[in-house]
Parts: sequence; C-alpha cells; structure tokens
Amino acid sequence: MENFIIQLLNGLVASMLLFIMAAGLSLIFGQMNVINLAHGAFYLLGGYIGLSVVRRFDNFWLALIIAPLIVGGLGVIIEYLFLRRLYGTHRHLDQVLFTFGLALVASDLIQWNWGAYVESVAPPTLLAGHIPVFSLTFPIYRLSLIGFGLLLALALWLFLERTRLGAIVRAGVSDAQMVSGLGINIHLVFAGIFALGTALAALAGVVGSPIRPLYPGLDFEILILTLVVVVVGGLGSLQGAFFGSLLIGMADTFGKAYLPEFSLFLIFAVMAVVLLIRPAGLFGLKENGQ
Amino acid sequence: MSTKKSYYFITRRDFIKGAGVMGAGLAASPLLSACGAGGGASSGPVKIGILLPYSDIYAVLGESITAGIEMYLDEVKNEAGGRKIELIKENTEMTPPIAQQKATKLVEQDKVDFVAGVVSSGVLMGTRDYFHDNKKLLICANAGANAISRGAKTPYIWRASFSNWQPNWPLGTWAYENVAKEAFISVPDYGAGHNMADAFANSFEAAGGTVLGKQLTPFPQMGDPAPFIGDIQNAEPPMVFCFYSGGAAVTFVKAYGEFGLSGNIPLVCAGFTVEEDVLPAQGDAALGVHSGLHWALQLDNAENKKFTAAYKDKTTKDANVFALQGYDTGRVIVEMLNSVQGDTSDVDKMVEAMGGISFDSPRGPFKMDAKSQNPEQHIYVRQVQDVGGELHNVVLEDLGAFADPSDNSLG
Repeated sequence: MENFIIQLLNGLVASMLLFIMAAGLSLIFGQMNVINLAHGAFYLLGGYIGLSVVRRFDNFWLALIIAPLIVGGLGVIIEYLFLRRLYGTHRHLDQVLFTFGLALVASDLIQWNWGAYVESVAPPTLLAGHIPVFSLTFPIYRLSLIGFGLLLALALWLFLERTRLGAIVRAGVSDAQMVSGLGINIHLVFAGIFALGTALAALAGVVGSPIRPLYPGLDFEILILTLVVVVVGGLGSLQGAFFGSLLIGMADTFGKAYLPEFSLFLIFAVMAVVLLIRPAGLFGLKENGQ
Repeated sequence: MSTKKSYYFITRRDFIKGAGVMGAGLAASPLLSACGAGGGASSGPVKIGILLPYSDIYAVLGESITAGIEMYLDEVKNEAGGRKIELIKENTEMTPPIAQQKATKLVEQDKVDFVAGVVSSGVLMGTRDYFHDNKKLLICANAGANAISRGAKTPYIWRASFSNWQPNWPLGTWAYENVAKEAFISVPDYGAGHNMADAFANSFEAAGGTVLGKQLTPFPQMGDPAPFIGDIQNAEPPMVFCFYSGGAAVTFVKAYGEFGLSGNIPLVCAGFTVEEDVLPAQGDAALGVHSGLHWALQLDNAENKKFTAAYKDKTTKDANVFALQGYDTGRVIVEMLNSVQGDTSDVDKMVEAMGGISFDSPRGPFKMDAKSQNPEQHIYVRQVQDVGGELHNVVLEDLGAFADPSDNSLG
C-alpha cells in the first residue's frame, strides 16, 4: 500500500512534466495546425540554458525565468523567418520536414555548444532533500513539481477560457480566417502562440533538469512521449493534454513498478486502446474531412 | 475549447503519417562524414576504420575512445611496422543496422585494412557475422558481450577492453565478504545488463549470498527511474547491485540519492555506473559507492600517471575507462602492426600476432588471453570519495588478475 502511494506520487510527477510539454505542443497544433517536431529540442535547449544560468548565477529561480524567455524569443524568430512561409493547406509534409530538420540541427548545435557529457542540475536549496511518506521517503522537489504542474494547468485554463486573449486564441482554433476577417492580426497571434508553446517546452526543460539529467538524445526521448500524450489526449485540446499526460504518466510509472519488462510496450498499448475506442483521442475535436 | 466546430487542415491520419516520416528520419539520422577512399593493402598508409557512436547517449564514450586512440598513435608519431597510420571514422550511433552499413562502407568502399572501435554490445553482436564472413579483423575497444569470448567467438574479433563478466564476478565475492549477505539487483534489460547481473549473482551466491530480487529496466530509454527506486525502497534490501552507463547512470544514481537511499542502502556496481565521465553530474549521490572495474583514475602506477596527465592536457577533462580502453586499443594496434612488420595483406598473420600481445598498461599488466581473445587483467574495488574537493574513484583493493572463463560455467 505504501509502495502504491509512492508510485502514485511518481506517476503524478511524470504526468506533470509531460503536461508542461504536451500543453505547448498541443497549443501550437491547435492554433497553428503545425506539428512541431522540434518541441523536444526546445525542451533540451531550455534545460541547457537553465544549466548555464544556474552555473553562472547559482540561482535556479532565475533559470526558470531566463530559459523560457530566450527560447520563446527564439520561437518568435523561427516563426517569423521560416514557419510563416509554410502555413496553409496541404503543406503539412513541408512543416513536418522543416520542424524535423530543425530538431536535428538544434540537436547537433546543442551537442556542439554544451558537449556530450551528461549534465545535471541541482534543485534549489529550498526544495532539496526528502520527507517521510509513511515509512518511506519522497523528494521534496518532486512533490513541488506536482503542485507546480497543477498550478500551471489552472493558469493556462484560466488564460484560455477567461481572458480576451484566450478567446481570440480559441476563436483562432475554430476558424483562423474568420478571426483574421474580424480585424485581428492573426500573424501576431500565431507568433505569440508559437513563442508560448516553445517557452513552455523550455520551462519543462528547466523544471525537469533536476530529475532528468541532460544529455544528447534526450530531446527525441521526450518528444516521442509527448507525441503519444497528444495523440491520446486529442490534438489541440488543453484538457486532452492534461488527461492524456495523466494517463500516460500513470501507465508509464505503474508499468515500470509492476511490469518492468513490459513498461515501454504498455504506453503504446494504452495509446492503441484509446485510439480504437476514441479515434480522435480522449478530447479530440471531431475530424470533419475538410 | 474541446467541443467547438473546427476546420482542420490536417487529419489525424496526416499526423500519424508525419510521425512516421519522423520515425524513418530518426532511423537514418545524422551521419558523420568520413574521409579518404580507395588504396592498396600493404603499401602506403595502413587504413584503420573506426566504428564508434558520436551522437546520442553514448557520444561521450565514442569521443573518449577516439581521444585515447589518437593519443597513443601520436606517441608513436602515427607510424607502426614501417607504415603511416590513417584513421577513417564512422558514426555507428546506437543501432546495429546502421553499424552494419558503416562497417560495410569502411570495408568495401574505403578498403580499410582492419577495423577498431564498437561501444555497444548490440552493435558488436550485430556486426559479428559480417567480420566473420568477410575475414576482416575487428579490434573491439569497449563492447563486453560475453558471447564474443565464448559461443560466438570468431578468430577475427579481439578485444582490447573487457568482457562483461570480468569486473563483476570477482566483485560478487568481495561484496559478500565486505558489504552484505543479501542483494537486490537492478540492470537494464539488454545483453550487457544480463551479463553483468549474472556474473555478479553467480559468485555472490556461490559465496553463500542471496539475491532478493532482480529488476530489469527498459533499454535504451529508461526514462525517469523513480518507480524502480520506489520498488527498491519497498524491498528494503541491505545492498543493491546495479549496472548503468552514460545518461542512465546519472539518472539512476541521482534518483537513488534524491529518495534518500544513498548512504542508507549501500550501492555496489559495475564500475561504469560511477565512472569519471558521469561522476561530476552525479555529485554527492555517488559518494561512498563501491564498484569493480579494470581501471581507476587514481590507480597508482607510472603508466597511469603519464596517461591521465596527458589526457587532461589534451582534452581538459579527467580520463575515464573508455579513454583508457581507446589508449590501449591504439597500443594493441601498434604492437600488432609492429609484429607483422606492417604487412596487413594476410589477416591470419595479424590474428596470430594478436594472441601474443602483452604490455604494461595504465590499468596494470595487460596480457591478451588467446583463448578468450580478450585481455587478462586486474580487477580493482574502488570507492567514490572526495579527493581534494572533487569526487573520484579511489582504489580500495586489487582483487588480482582475471581472464574470461571462455564458457558460461561461472555466469
């Protein structure tokens, strides 16, 4: 029973980290119709920038702000210079090729700049250490990660559902052309969304770095899990990203704890079952065949 | 935003197609370019193909081995047996199919005289038949798959590194006598993990110890090991034996510390888990960990002092066991070439020369064992300690010289 509770907490930690990633990917897809295969690269870049900030200023909180800002800024530049040329129907293969190419280039540049050695980031001293959970122990940093993920989910939900900007974003998901026709600068919205999405990936990289050390190749590991979450949850939906993350995070954790030999397989089995029952994912919008 | 009407430009089918494109791309991702092509077999420079990973999680291993080989070749001015030496490097990544392509390219297109390198046991086993069928010599600089010294032995593959059995079998007895009588085992679920766990368990049980449980974790992508740490915490063993390498080694040991297990449940491991390439990132979580390996940075002998100082000079990093193996691979190459006087036209002559190689290595006496085609070498018990403000492996005990048993009788 105690082990079950520890594993439940582990599952929540995994889910929240996935959610921060999946929310960004889903937001970009929902708004811009772009599958961003460089999302994992933005995660890793965020993590490494965080590492550099922590090394230089010895301040984790600063890294939490600086890394998303830099990567979000980079997102705006990439959107403006490249992605903007690839919008439109029947260009998804172009977008996939572009973002995948970007992921490969970013991966090499990151290794070139930060090296191939495994790097880890210490959690802030305030959250270091572990506390007893019944007769077992659990790290404080991981517990706070659960809280952080839930708060972020709430903040994103409030932003999308309760603010004027959020309304524009939601309108854009439904019909970008119409939004544009109403006098809203849709290009600006797109750039903003891409920046927000990439900043979220970088944020995940920073908060994830104390528990997932950084090394070349981590970008694609993270990307694949995030894609699974987004497919399970339903493309373009925040609720989907949230509940998809919970489902995959729990499946991963409990698979590892109770069926370690099958844990990788289990994630994809869950995905297959969800797609069989709900082909558009848990919260996916109906496909309407254009 | 979930139920509103939408006009998608993309269907889920497109999305999955896109993901498929990405998957295919992943399988054939960045190729490190090579140089040079053509040429004869026994005049001009000796051409040696280098098969190593230069990207993804084992990139550091590839880089360290390369630096080691080049360091030794520099010492002999890139010349052996009266001929210049030329290296042609190829990135194997982690995948046997890519390694096979690269091996074929090196042998058939670049016409190399022989090949050196190989980090992963999977790649070694995957390319084994190619070298065997084509009678091409491969000098292995890392991959320890036991089978290559045993059932899958071929005259054309020799190791300058170790067999997975070697560091762990002596460690099992030592751990029983010095740490605890019961152990929980955690290793990645692939060839090397199984080899190492079996070797440790074999001698540990023979000494009278009990294995309480064995955890096989996903490979190559372990992800967050917290659930595995939870299971260990729950089992409350008096000792844990593990083997991890590269990124997984840091992730595992860090989580072990995070959950408060470091210092409470002694960790004994195959030396790669806390080698010098991962120690700085593991930090205090690794403090006190015992491990068995055929080398240590702090090993006290003249060769090692020279090697570690020169490596730090060249790369600014501390040497690690992979760099040492690269250095010794360079030495084995040179000794072999000297012994055949630079004549690489007859592979059988090269193979025969391999069996007679022995020298003083930074790891201690290195004697190629002709039976297992793998070095007979000393195994050391090391402990991670704070050495003047930095964490390093300090040698506690020399367990003596061991050669792979050449069969599965001892795990």
